[in-house]
Amino acid sequence: MNPRVVAALARKDIVDAIRNRYLLTALLTPLFVALLFRVLMPGVNSLNNLNVVVHDTGNSVLVAQLRNTPKLNLIASASAEAAANEVEKKKATGGLVVPVNFDADVAAGKEPELTIYVNSKKNIIEQATFRQLMERQVSSLVKQPVTARPVWIELGKEPGSQPGGRPDLNQTLLPLLLLLAFAMTGALVVPLLLVEEREQRTLDFLLTSPASLAEIVTGKALTGVVYSLLISGALLAINHKLISNWPLTLLTILLGLLFIVAIGLFTGSLFQNTMQVNTWASLVLLLLLIPGFPSPGGLPVAMEAALHLVPTYYFVEALKLLLAGMGSSRIGGHLAVLLACTAVAFSATIWRSRREQN
Amino acid sequence: MNAIEVEGLSRTFNDLQAVDNISFTVEAGEIFGFLGHNGAGKTTTIRMLTGQLRPTAGLARVAGCDVATERHRLKPLVGVVSENQNLYERMSGRENLAFAARLYGTDSRRIDEALDQVGLLDRATDNAKHYSNGMKQRLLIARALLHRPRLLFLDEPTRGLDPMVGRDIRRLVKELSTRGVTVFLTTHYMEEADQLCGRVAFLSEGRIVALDTPDNLKVAHGQKSLNVILGDGTSLTIALDDEDAGKQLEKLVNAGQIRTLHSAEATLEEVFIQIAGRGLAE
Repeated sequence: MNPRVVAALARKDIVDAIRNRYLLTALLTPLFVALLFRVLMPGVNSLNNLNVVVHDTGNSVLVAQLRNTPKLNLIASASAEAAANEVEKKKATGGLVVPVNFDADVAAGKEPELTIYVNSKKNIIEQATFRQLMERQVSSLVKQPVTARPVWIELGKEPGSQPGGRPDLNQTLLPLLLLLAFAMTGALVVPLLLVEEREQRTLDFLLTSPASLAEIVTGKALTGVVYSLLISGALLAINHKLISNWPLTLLTILLGLLFIVAIGLFTGSLFQNTMQVNTWASLVLLLLLIPGFPSPGGLPVAMEAALHLVPTYYFVEALKLLLAGMGSSRIGGHLAVLLACTAVAFSATIWRSRREQN
Repeated sequence: MNAIEVEGLSRTFNDLQAVDNISFTVEAGEIFGFLGHNGAGKTTTIRMLTGQLRPTAGLARVAGCDVATERHRLKPLVGVVSENQNLYERMSGRENLAFAARLYGTDSRRIDEALDQVGLLDRATDNAKHYSNGMKQRLLIARALLHRPRLLFLDEPTRGLDPMVGRDIRRLVKELSTRGVTVFLTTHYMEEADQLCGRVAFLSEGRIVALDTPDNLKVAHGQKSLNVILGDGTSLTIALDDEDAGKQLEKLVNAGQIRTLHSAEATLEEVFIQIAGRGLAE
């Protein structure tokens, strides 16, 4: 493998793709979507009214603040024990149990415990909005560094389902946006780069040059990796506050993008022209994206099981767990699956290309 | 010294025998013509000789390299102008050559020299998609010559070009030959092969059916005849192989009927049709 040749191939493609409006659009779409979500995020507040069950015998300032919050219906609960039941019974988004001396304890810096119930049967956007609202209200209680210690309890979670940690809308969107970026780059742009060489017959020129087939494929892969890294870098910069474990997050992202680039190379090795790629790569792209989409109210068990067959599921889940503050022990299996799938996809590409050349 | 040595070279694609046991040699500095119908196996042979395709059987050495096992050593020694105008059309002429220079590890100063050699220096910054067919062909030749190859493969270099551009390219090919570059040329234009090539091979259904200098082929396979225009304006052809040719000619001379007399030497195209036709019939 000659690095000069690989670098020359990648450099040519990186510059050339910028001149190709079609490829440029595919590359910039995830960034555009990310920015669009950034701009539209306040629009989440335009949801329907949220019902919240409250048990607050001490008439706290917190609940008084919540009463003044628009689009929030507070439903009083007679006891702390009943609050949890009433969240599910009254189909509320969440519940709140405020201790009797809450205001005094906050003022004294005692960091009182605040129990917050989240109804997992509500759609993810409602849950996320409720979580964001509660975090904002709790943190703005008093001008002291220590306020209250929220204890989050998820209600109505299916047995055996993944622990949610603290997923909010941003934490769901970031994996989706990264997946979109990688899918557009890896599954659409990379095969087009390969197929265009074949279609324009420039592959014949490359094969008579000192470039070997392996170097050509590596050059295309490098182009896909560079573009994916640039776009994911921009997405991470926009969402940097969400990330706590940078090394593992970056490793997950690297494995995810390598897998999708490998899929793109394999797709490119199968097809002869742009039209075929556009048709089939769109289906591949859609399949890869499915695990990234939020599933309001959860998926049927069969569909959930089917999702496990899509390798990007492991990428999305690993990222969600990392963003929720979970450690490496929870994501090791996910990363192993991604790594294995990447190796298989690269091997399939090399096998296919060699077969075609001979 | 031989620039190309081919012995029993064959290539099959599934059941199709594209090239069938061909053998020939090309001397260094020679312009060698490889002629045949569409699908005769010309491009497949070039693809094998330039390391793009593995032979199914046989041996071939190009510039001293085995085409099957020494592809990496071979590729920097040869230049290829494909039958397709396979340029990067979104890139300028200079960028196309700059990319090739990076692949071959050629000094970038050579780029403008190559552009100048084919008369494209003043259009170097234009995108290749805005070039005419002739300009594209010249850029392809510049790209193939950029790394100063010892051997140049030209696959239909003048196909579809206007006569003036075709003439320029032929002049360039001759010039390269005088500088010691070996040229392996495929063309549909027999006249072009006749003008340029020291020797030609006729390929039919994957096999070489004739190989010699154009003159020898014309003598060996062409019909020997005379075109006679008579005093009354009519014309006739006398086949010199005919037993009565001498008597017929003598009679016309004695009768004072001949206005003009021309030798009717066969063209290379006629020779090819004769040979390939016979080959096809076998």
